[in-house]
Amino acid sequence: MIRHTLVLLGLSLLGLGGLAPEVRAAADLKKVLRVEFPVAETGFDPVLVHDLYSSTVVEAIFDPLLTYDYLASPAKLAPRAAEALPELENQGKSYTFKVRKGIHFYPDPAFKGQRRELTAEDFAYSIKRHKDPKNRSVWKFLLDGKIVGLDEAEAAAVKSGKFDYDSPIAGLKVLDRYTLRVELKVTDYNLGYILAMPSLGAVAREVIEAYPNDTNSHPVGTGPYYLKRWIRSAKIFLEANPEYRSFNWDFKGSEDTWDKRVIAEMKGKKMPRIGQVEINIIEEEQSAWLAFQNAELDILYLRSQFSPVAIPEGKVNEQLAAKGVLLNRITDPEITYHYFNMRDPVVGGYSKEKVALRRAILMAYDNAEEIRIIRKNQAVEAHFPVPPGVVGHQPRYRAGNAYNVELANALLDRFGYRKGDDGFRTLPDGRPLVIRYASQPDSTTRLFDELWKKSFDAIGIRMEVQKEKFAELLKLEKQCRLMMRGAAWIADYPDGDDFVMLLYGKNVGQSNNPCFELPEFDEIYERSAKMPPSPERDRLYVDLGRLAENYGVWKLNNTRYRNMLVYPRVKGYKKHPILLADWMYLDLE
Amino acid sequence: MTTMTASPHFVASPGLWTLAWRRMRRDHVGMVSLLIVAAFILMMIASGSGFLARDWSKEVGANYAPPTFVGADASGQSVIIPATEAGEGDVVESNVSDPIASELAELRPKPKGAVAGAGPSEGAVVDPLADIMAEIKGKGGTEAVKEQRAATLPFGADKWGRDVLQKVIKGSETSIFVGLAAALVATLLGTVFGAFSGYYGKWVDDFFNWFYSVFTSIPYLLLILAIAAVLQQKGLTTIILILGLTGWTGIYRLIRAEYLKHKSREYVQAADAIGASGNRRMFVHILPNVSHVILVQMSLHVVQFIKAEVILSFLGFGVPVDVVSWGSMLNEAQNELILGKWWQLVVAGTAMAVLVTAFSMLTDSLRDALDPKLK
Repeated sequence: MIRHTLVLLGLSLLGLGGLAPEVRAAADLKKVLRVEFPVAETGFDPVLVHDLYSSTVVEAIFDPLLTYDYLASPAKLAPRAAEALPELENQGKSYTFKVRKGIHFYPDPAFKGQRRELTAEDFAYSIKRHKDPKNRSVWKFLLDGKIVGLDEAEAAAVKSGKFDYDSPIAGLKVLDRYTLRVELKVTDYNLGYILAMPSLGAVAREVIEAYPNDTNSHPVGTGPYYLKRWIRSAKIFLEANPEYRSFNWDFKGSEDTWDKRVIAEMKGKKMPRIGQVEINIIEEEQSAWLAFQNAELDILYLRSQFSPVAIPEGKVNEQLAAKGVLLNRITDPEITYHYFNMRDPVVGGYSKEKVALRRAILMAYDNAEEIRIIRKNQAVEAHFPVPPGVVGHQPRYRAGNAYNVELANALLDRFGYRKGDDGFRTLPDGRPLVIRYASQPDSTTRLFDELWKKSFDAIGIRMEVQKEKFAELLKLEKQCRLMMRGAAWIADYPDGDDFVMLLYGKNVGQSNNPCFELPEFDEIYERSAKMPPSPERDRLYVDLGRLAENYGVWKLNNTRYRNMLVYPRVKGYKKHPILLADWMYLDLE
Repeated sequence: MTTMTASPHFVASPGLWTLAWRRMRRDHVGMVSLLIVAAFILMMIASGSGFLARDWSKEVGANYAPPTFVGADASGQSVIIPATEAGEGDVVESNVSDPIASELAELRPKPKGAVAGAGPSEGAVVDPLADIMAEIKGKGGTEAVKEQRAATLPFGADKWGRDVLQKVIKGSETSIFVGLAAALVATLLGTVFGAFSGYYGKWVDDFFNWFYSVFTSIPYLLLILAIAAVLQQKGLTTIILILGLTGWTGIYRLIRAEYLKHKSREYVQAADAIGASGNRRMFVHILPNVSHVILVQMSLHVVQFIKAEVILSFLGFGVPVDVVSWGSMLNEAQNELILGKWWQLVVAGTAMAVLVTAFSMLTDSLRDALDPKLK
């Protein structure tokens, strides 16, 4: 991890009472940014919410220790409430964070009229809250088995029914008012990414205890915005936090024209500029699209349905171009893939004939056609398990098992999958061969059914579609009871580890959907997990990618685009692959 | 439908069916409708027996090839964005194990002048497919296949490049068959239930009425979805069963009323007097006299079920992936319309509209012909 360039000028321009006019000078309350969420929010307690949209608001209200550099690609960590990125000590087992001095919470009655400064203790408290069984945090898995003494505290809380926040945790040492030292049980180079997640933003214990059953609607944080007004499932109004420290916009991007323009628009400005953010919940894609066309929204996440209309051939259409609307396209940090269940009696197993069967099927599937017809050209082909924009991505890597029906047929013939009179193949021992492809009952997945049907027909293999509800599919998947399915994985944090671990043997039942267990793979993975990002680790990732292909575990399909439409009055906009709440980096004309 | 072969000249007093046929002949709209319906049914039989549209799933045209009169789509091809910018052979090497490397190497056509021996033991070529990919790209394999496809088709092509006309013909097989079969099931159930209910009355009538009330008290779509959930599988049989099991209620009421009316008529009492059993009176004596109601009801339900199949397929409860129906075509069309590819919607929609209209008018004429008093 390299030191980043975000310069947070810790300008303590705050006067007493926290309403000093100079602090607000940067954010102009007349500047109202209007955006949309396609799904209603659930609340604003960092520990309790787990959906993308609530997390976006949480990120604007609360300060985590770390965040991401606004422009750097691949995504790079930067300090937020911390003074600097932590130094790695003890081979990635200890992290020391210095919390910036002079950060204050937004005023709340719970503080009894006093200004409340953010301290290291707040972060220790916020981390502990995830392990409080009462909170049932879905993010708990990120911390499980990591911090010394924390799992034990959780176990004690399960037993006693009450989490003891006052007893010290060995792995969460508050050395002084502003210093937090985190001790880990095992080497983990990804702790920084975890501490940059909105769910680890700092809350004040007084506030949480003042509203014991309603923390979701009392978000009090130190971030750039505070919750001004909230109409549930309809509108969320955020206003610039008068207590928020100001900083200079100074990011370094790449050489591409978009980055250059953003830098030219924003460099040297005192942030944040936007005084109010109005979030509209618009569930219907069509409504959002119309609202954007009527300039009722400043930024729109264009989903695939309207992309052929809005951005034919990858450029905004004439009407939008006339209004000066810009398209900011990034690739999501994700892969979509189709996998086989390695424990399935028909397609699973590690013998040569099973490997050949799987690889032949994967070769019969045309990624290009999927992108053209199903994705409507809104995706790029995925070759490497680690997608673009994520540390460890290999742009030169070309996937094996490429589309090749001839070779697929030859391979099946060679291994004795003979065609019967009806034109369909049987297993080498003469038993019938039917592949069950798991899918959902909706019209988009039917496109995949059709494309796979075509692919299977081309190599003479009989295919059946198994239709299940989404929740049921996930259940069967985790129990290794499906035969074959398509899935997608989006980065929790921008490191390749989050992707190569998808096939690690010990993750069967969790994220290892193919239930793939190969000692050779596990051995290489375990070595890679102990390394910081480096060319040596990249080499291991290449080996892991090839192994998955050689055993025909999965076929990587594509990485989808995220198309953002932006009106020209929004300045400094660039979609960040991980960062959710980017409003503090923008300006409005 | 009509099984009239008797020549009217010989018959002194023409029967019910002969008279009906005569009235029908005079109805020109009815006759045209009959011809259209007959043509559709012939098409369905031809498609089912493999004379027509056997290769419907073959991709004969370009993806979304437009109808010929519109002309080839110039912009359609340019939309393709190159997936990757890197050149071929640009692979990152690895030395991990490959269980079938030797077999693949064997199958791979040897590149001209290539040095032999690319097995895994060599370790030099670690991607067993690199050469093959180069080979195929060299001969332009995938491009060559695409060039054989037509740029336009008389009625256009769908997203995979399948001929829309062939799909419509193949789809008619499913849709009409489902309509006819489901109508048969529904009519059979409705007639039998109605006959027992109307003829026996008392607790039998109460029982069937109760059964009827239960069925009609559930909203129709909900009932369909409930039965779909119970049957647990997709397929033509399931759709036929769903529609048949939910559609009998209307017929039941009508037939019950007919039986109530007929059971006290003199001819039934006469049959009773000569010792005919209940079943014989119901199905040999009364049934022919109410058959015109049944026939009209059945035709009405065929129309209704063809439309219902479309709705079911539209909702995603329809036909499996390797079967095409008009409903599934219309379902696909909703996405295509946004892209401006209207032809599948137009062709499937037209075929359905023509058949349904013709069938409805035929039913109307049938009713007029079979029951002139109604006019």
